[in-house]
Amino acid sequence: MEHEDAQPDKADPGPMNAGVALDSTLLEAVREVPRSMDAFLAQVERRAWRMAELNLGNREDAMDAVQDAMLRLVRHYGDKPAEEWTPLFWGILRRRIVDLQRRRKVRSIVVGWLGGGKDDDGDELPSWEPADEGPDPSARLQDAQAYQDIAQAVRRLPRRQREAFMLRVMEGLDVAETAAAMGCSDGSVKTHLSRAMHTLRDQLEAWR
Amino acid sequence: MSHRDEDIQRRARELYLRASNEVDPVIAGRLRAARRTALEKPVSHAARRMLLPAGAFAMLALASLIVWQPRQSSPAAPTQVMQSAEADSDLPPDADSADPALYQDLDFYGWLASNQGSASPTR
Repeated sequence: MEHEDAQPDKADPGPMNAGVALDSTLLEAVREVPRSMDAFLAQVERRAWRMAELNLGNREDAMDAVQDAMLRLVRHYGDKPAEEWTPLFWGILRRRIVDLQRRRKVRSIVVGWLGGGKDDDGDELPSWEPADEGPDPSARLQDAQAYQDIAQAVRRLPRRQREAFMLRVMEGLDVAETAAAMGCSDGSVKTHLSRAMHTLRDQLEAWR
Repeated sequence: MSHRDEDIQRRARELYLRASNEVDPVIAGRLRAARRTALEKPVSHAARRMLLPAGAFAMLALASLIVWQPRQSSPAAPTQVMQSAEADSDLPPDADSADPALYQDLDFYGWLASNQGSASPTR
């Protein structure tokens, strides 16, 4: 496959409160139909990582999920029309995130069975998951607190509501694309999103 | 959709896009590397696909060689045995295959042989 090392989409890193103008600039880049698979992946890779990180709460797991989603898209759907890549990619990534969450749950159950959760004195040991010692990405944001708020609120949503909110609202897919990525009907997307919004309205009172 | 919902959605999207653009350089580099890896041609996969017929052909060739060789050599085997028997005619007979009575009368047969050699010119 042609490999031209496309540049990830860049937006002017102005102040956080730049508002709607900034939003529309970023959105234009998001909705642009890619010229090649390389350009498409360059366009989505950072947002994909951020979405995976928000769901999984771990940078390394997020990297694994994105890497695997890229590989699968190229190997299995590289010959599909470029217009179909968006829902396909987000659908693959969504499934990888779910897989990793399930594996993590199984691992923590096994660790619990093996008595790995407590030390000789009966105190709780640190979680099986290695500590994420990288720089806190949200600390780099000027409006870090707002990002923390939304990230925490979204993480607390039930899985399907979270997926609907992230794909439809944050990623900006339309209802049909979101439904394709989630593997459900358009109606289900609307229902999940409506419930998610209801919860978020309550949780994000500080945003008023 | 209420104005409040629109505001939440707009801000959530803005924060998400901003956070994605401000991914730290290490992560950005790793994502770029992951993209390159994903886009590399799966050479090993194609090579693996070629290995299967090549291996099958090699096995077939070996099997046919094994089957063919004994058939070709089997008619030659009795000739070799006969040749070796003729070549060994000057040697004393093999003790295992010869008649035991022959060994009991070895002196007689020796005398007979020497007498035949000396008697024949007199005839």
